[in-house]
Amino acid sequence: MTETSIPQHAPRTGRIDTVGGGDRAGRRHQRRPPGLPWILPALILSVGLIYYSIGYTGYISTLDWDGISPGPRSVGTGNYTRIFQDPVFWDAVWHTAVFFAVTFVVQTLLGLIFAVLLHTKVKLATVYKVIIFIPVVLAPAIMAPVFRHMFAPDGELNSLLHAVGLGSLAQPWIGQTSTALPVIMFITVWEWTGVTFVLYYAAMTQTDPSVIEAAKIDGAGNLRTLVSIIWPDMRGTTLALAILGAIGALKTFDVPYLVTIGGPNYATEFLGTYIYRMTIPLDHVGYGAALSVILLVLALIMALVLQLGGGREGKAGR
Amino acid sequence: MRARLLLRSALRPLTILVSATLAVTGLVACGSGGSSSSGSATSGTVNWWGWTPTDTATAENYIAAFNKQYPNIKVNYKLVNISDWVAALRPALASGRGPDVFDMQPGAYVTQFKSFAEDLTPAAEQALGSDWKSKVAPIGISGLTADGKLTALSVGSVFGGMLWINADIFKKYSLSPPTTLAEWQHVCQVLKQNNTGCFVQGAAQEGFDQDTLQSIANSVQPGLWTKASTGDAKWNDPGLVKTFEIWKELFTSGIMQPGAVGYQQYPDANNDFLTGKYGMIMMGTWYTEYATTKAMTAALSAAGVSGAKPFPILPIAFPDVAGAGNTSEMYGDADFGLAVATKSKSKAAAETFVKWMATTSGGQQAIANQLNDLPALKSVEPDFGVIQLVDPATQTKPVQDLVVKAGNVTEPRESLLSADVQNSILAAATSVATGKATPQQAADTLQKAAEAAGETFK
Repeated sequence: MTETSIPQHAPRTGRIDTVGGGDRAGRRHQRRPPGLPWILPALILSVGLIYYSIGYTGYISTLDWDGISPGPRSVGTGNYTRIFQDPVFWDAVWHTAVFFAVTFVVQTLLGLIFAVLLHTKVKLATVYKVIIFIPVVLAPAIMAPVFRHMFAPDGELNSLLHAVGLGSLAQPWIGQTSTALPVIMFITVWEWTGVTFVLYYAAMTQTDPSVIEAAKIDGAGNLRTLVSIIWPDMRGTTLALAILGAIGALKTFDVPYLVTIGGPNYATEFLGTYIYRMTIPLDHVGYGAALSVILLVLALIMALVLQLGGGREGKAGR
Repeated sequence: MRARLLLRSALRPLTILVSATLAVTGLVACGSGGSSSSGSATSGTVNWWGWTPTDTATAENYIAAFNKQYPNIKVNYKLVNISDWVAALRPALASGRGPDVFDMQPGAYVTQFKSFAEDLTPAAEQALGSDWKSKVAPIGISGLTADGKLTALSVGSVFGGMLWINADIFKKYSLSPPTTLAEWQHVCQVLKQNNTGCFVQGAAQEGFDQDTLQSIANSVQPGLWTKASTGDAKWNDPGLVKTFEIWKELFTSGIMQPGAVGYQQYPDANNDFLTGKYGMIMMGTWYTEYATTKAMTAALSAAGVSGAKPFPILPIAFPDVAGAGNTSEMYGDADFGLAVATKSKSKAAAETFVKWMATTSGGQQAIANQLNDLPALKSVEPDFGVIQLVDPATQTKPVQDLVVKAGNVTEPRESLLSADVQNSILAAATSVATGKATPQQAADTLQKAAEAAGETFK
């Protein structure tokens, strides 16, 4: 046996590295601390709790179960079949899509405008920044009664409309199906535009001033500079906001639950409120779990589509 | 790689949401089995959770009366809004950190919480003797019994099928209580002309929609609603389609307040009525307590009216809205029973409190005099000699008549309806009110939903 020994730390390629580089790599490898202990807490949390919970939810979704009774009945894919025939589910999906499209566009527009304006030399800029951001830190549970009152038939909005001679526009805003969802979207825009603004504001500080200066020298006006220089530079931020907005739309629960309880007549029902309605008040834990699984799948699909779409746009842009 | 990272970050909030959902259901899943510890029957702390009494002052009155006899048992009352009741109670009972005593109502709540409640049959026998059933209003036994277990001792009963009016507003505009749909519309026109709201209801909550619908149905055909509840008639029976048509008319003819389907009965409708914005409200006998100066003052304070003067309220029969000559019959259930939690660590003290409230003349007289419930014990009646009404001259007779009338009611209110059917009734009511469905379509959908929920029909 005349076998050449291979150093323990060398890559098991069968090739002996006779030059010094291999030894240096080996020494680096030896100095590197083992990774497992460092990631173990996160691993336990992720695999042990989150992924286990997802798996358990998947299992429950195959049951007809109230969450308490000792003998849940297996229904296989029955809950999923029922969901796809459930008009309230499709309403909730539609509301989510409309909610995402409207809130994302409006927030993006407002956030961008605020960020651009506050990058100019505006007096009291800090005060404006605080005013724009304050809604983000106010809990929806605190603001919900305020909005309920504001949009009530005898609330402040209708009083204002009457006061300025627009009484004919006064409506029971959260008490009719045609206006309840727009009210929920308005509240959400009010609440989250501050985040959009902050991210755009931060991103704009990264834009190279010389590029803007060059554009000005080339004769570009403010609008042209915004559309052709600043906006393309914000693509990464916009994509991140789109993904956050999409996931936020899928998770929407607090505002519609606290302001309209998903009503009237399911007009503001979202997947989150419907999961809650089916699981807690109506005891259909299996059905609620199936809805949760579908919510998870939709989130995955939406994130994937936005990411891939954003990636393609990025390449095309280059 | 970047896509994977983004996906993972995108997933994290969702997994947390799913985990939270599971945490709740997991808690619930752990919730069965009892505890053998009972503690002392004459001392300790008892935590009582309820959606009624709807104001803590009333509950404190009961507790104060109880403490005169049992000074060493401290009772803490926690008021939970009825719309949050199931969500709050299920995990609390399952975790064993919830109430020792909790409210129970016939119907869906008995189904949902029976496994967390002690069988109180021995307690009833011990307190009232072997013939205890003969001493308690029957409406308070059948609805609270499930699987042969008496899940709660009935404290009192409530009845619907009526309305309350603000007597001052009616007097101010020289109005008489309406007895027909046309008269009701006239009352609303007059009040509207005087910039006063007419009728207010929290049509976003199923229990109160059911009350109005059952009242309308009783006007169309007495007993039809109950027949549908028992499966002896279908929910799309022509009489119930007619019921939904009249329900729709309440919205289109200006009787129901604008935006009613976005209103909660508590606090929205209740506060609007108590603050004098509306002249009429759909409430049942539980509202009788607001005929008293003490409860009305407390309620006005809770509604945010500072220094307001209590006003007299009067009960009136639900108008004959179908015009068929049927005076709407009242209907009722036990409201509320008190249950002892199986996981209570102060079970004996909890049982003492429940027995005192439900089976002793002292407790039942306190209940009766509060006028929130009609007492469960047949032998106890409200003592109008000590009850202080806001305006005895106008209120005494109507209130006394109401108490007598309610004592003869046999028609159930919600006890026959499952949570699924109640939810479907709400969906049908709001879809008709908002014009998303015709009365016939809504009734057909309701019938299908009731069948899907397991209700069998003849």
